[in-house]
Amino acid sequence: MSTLTGTGLLVRLDLRRDRILAPVWIAVLLMMTIASAAATPSLYKTQAELVRAADAINSSPAIVALYGPILDPTSKGEVAMTKMTVLYALFAAVFFVVVVRRHTRVEEESGRTELVGGTAVGRDAPLAAAILSALVWAVVLAVLVALGNIASGLDSVGSIAFGLMWLGVALVAIGIGAVTAQVAASARTCASWAAAILGLLYVLRAAGDTGPTWLSWCSPFGWNTQLRAWSGPRWWLLLAYVAVAAALVAAAIVLRARRDLGSGLIAARPGPAYGSARLDGALALVVKLHATPLVLWTLALAVMGVLFGAITPTLNDFLDTVAAQQMLDKLGGALIAAILSVIAILIGYFASTVFSHASRDEAEGRAELVLATATSRTRWAGAYAALGLAGVVWLLAVTGVGLWIGYAVADGPGIGNLVVAALAWAPAVWVVAALGLLSLALRPSLAALVWVWPAIFFVFTTVAELFEAPGWLLGISPYRHVPQLPADSWSWPAELGLTAVAAVVLVAAWWRFQRRDLG
Amino acid sequence: MTDPAVIEISGLVKTFGAFRALDGLDLAVAPGEVHGFLGPNGAGKSTTIRILLGLLRKDAGTVRLLGGDPWTDAAALHRRLAYVPGDVSLWPNLSGGEIVDLLIRMRGADPRTSRRDEMVERFGLDTTKKGRAYSKGNRQKVALVAAFATDPELLLLDEPTSGLDPLMEKEFNDCVAEHTGRGSTVLLSSHILSEVERLADRVTIIREGRVVETGTLRDLRHLHRSKVVAMVSGPAPDLSPLPGVYDAAVVTGDGGTQVTCSVEPEALGEVLKALGDAGIESLTSTPPSLEELFLDAYRGEQDVPR
Repeated sequence: MSTLTGTGLLVRLDLRRDRILAPVWIAVLLMMTIASAAATPSLYKTQAELVRAADAINSSPAIVALYGPILDPTSKGEVAMTKMTVLYALFAAVFFVVVVRRHTRVEEESGRTELVGGTAVGRDAPLAAAILSALVWAVVLAVLVALGNIASGLDSVGSIAFGLMWLGVALVAIGIGAVTAQVAASARTCASWAAAILGLLYVLRAAGDTGPTWLSWCSPFGWNTQLRAWSGPRWWLLLAYVAVAAALVAAAIVLRARRDLGSGLIAARPGPAYGSARLDGALALVVKLHATPLVLWTLALAVMGVLFGAITPTLNDFLDTVAAQQMLDKLGGALIAAILSVIAILIGYFASTVFSHASRDEAEGRAELVLATATSRTRWAGAYAALGLAGVVWLLAVTGVGLWIGYAVADGPGIGNLVVAALAWAPAVWVVAALGLLSLALRPSLAALVWVWPAIFFVFTTVAELFEAPGWLLGISPYRHVPQLPADSWSWPAELGLTAVAAVVLVAAWWRFQRRDLG
Repeated sequence: MTDPAVIEISGLVKTFGAFRALDGLDLAVAPGEVHGFLGPNGAGKSTTIRILLGLLRKDAGTVRLLGGDPWTDAAALHRRLAYVPGDVSLWPNLSGGEIVDLLIRMRGADPRTSRRDEMVERFGLDTTKKGRAYSKGNRQKVALVAAFATDPELLLLDEPTSGLDPLMEKEFNDCVAEHTGRGSTVLLSSHILSEVERLADRVTIIREGRVVETGTLRDLRHLHRSKVVAMVSGPAPDLSPLPGVYDAAVVTGDGGTQVTCSVEPEALGEVLKALGDAGIESLTSTPPSLEELFLDAYRGEQDVPR
């Protein structure tokens, strides 16, 4: 029996287990791609308008940092795919890390790999199957994205190059997932490490695209832009993705042989023999469980805030008249507002991680252990709700302070209170978070909605805007009602209205949770 | 029973969709007793315990726990009890020691003044391991240590020894005995009949959400047939026509004639008389083990065509 016996069977099992997750994730990415491609002709009716839009993107370091530069301003495909080239490639990469981790370390920790390992399945089969099944989804995604772009009227060669470029990113992400799964001490640290690596590669590219270009060449996300998919593709660059991915997968296979099932190369450290006297209730427990992620989120957002804050005022170099200066003040404000709108939605996912922890506690019986003590349901669920809702406020404030510091260091003109601008997003994020809690309270089987709500409203807003949907339709999304500080002014009715909606949804969730069966 | 019952359930119904998990269940547990709660998988043992803990909501019937309503007074009642689930799940990144102390504190007790260290010692638990690193048996120990460290009025134990090795099972039995010695009441759900037989004062056997048998072990034995095996010197008597005698058989071999049968307690006298007339050389009469009561209780229902 070879160490790969049974791989084919496991690939089928993995594909089957992802039969909902993968198609949904791929469909969302595909929809965003097609929507962007299809909307372009109506947005830029003449070549001159297209070039002007591309120049506007290139002249804004903040947008370049987020989406990458437009190397060929005359290319319809490149302008149409501005958001997809780098930012959505990151979302695709996250998916492939999730898939690999899910079928390796998560399976090992649940004991299912042991169950499988007891059958006629080789030692390396689970890792091989995870990689191969992820590869299947990668090819499906790449083909669909290429076809979608061609169908939406973009250049065929460019569309194919673009699809292959996403396939390349997927390969690298699969490699990153495979290696972190071998090294990290647990499935949880595996997730944080993979996320940190992807984030680092993204920031590296952002720094390179707005500063020294060689930094971009150090990141696969930088290659996405440099591949020039839409005008004379550098086909040879595709080999770079393949080479990196192959090296990572080979490393994973070697590392796999050097570790035991269920443990990483880095051993888990022993914990304290006694519990701290402060760890005495549901809230203390929930805070302790999330202390590390909260610190990581705080650091990441502080860095991101400073970075984007510092980039914004550099527009000064382009414009030097008093009139332009005034325009810039407004533009700078609008840029900060645009950055905040993306970061705020991202921060909403902190609450999602907290709430999904609650649902796993319930599904796996830890909630039962707590609720069999003198801890009431309100106290247990309230602890999770409090951390999620207060956590997003803290993270928004951190982002605001970061932006303000970066902006001040770069000598930006007066722009108003950026902490307030960031906090203005709190009520909208609360509404979305509260909907997640309501889903959990309604039925344990709806737990996945915790991840879906922020994405739904984000995609909905983006798609609806692209197709110029009527205002009332756009108004369904809570994000839509947030005053775009610092460009706009603070709006009490909007903030109080959103807070009230969040409160109503929370009360409904609490009411329902008091009445339902647990577990 | 003059004391008010610790657990009092009557006519309890719980449905999950179309499935009737509990179908008019009755259960009474008196103070200070160890009550064995027996049934096959899916009989409704865990469902009953989860209703007693206020985790599930009953659909009909009445449930009283320690004089209160387990649904509305859950948190207050839980200060007075400890629960050990059959399949313990721990927080992967907290150490066993942290979890033990947390659970004790969450029940309103102080681990520093409890028997926590003694229990850790007795169960041989390594408290520095992280939750994700424990085996099933060790996860069980974490919950058992937390439960036995304090003096709750009631212990709710749902198949608590699954995954424990025999040495630890003995430690567990001692702990249960010590707790009842201090006046605790125990509801012990189990598959392991010998364990229940050793520990329980009274047992309730349930099946498909309904009580099949309940009573002291003596009561239950009284209701059931003993197995009689006798060697006789004379011609074997025909026992089959006697009322209360079943499966009578005669085997004649080199050693003599062996008569075997199952006898209801009321018919024992008649059987002994008939055997005595045939000249008894040896006689064994075995009271049913819990194992047999258990099987009887199930077989009884399966025999009835539905």
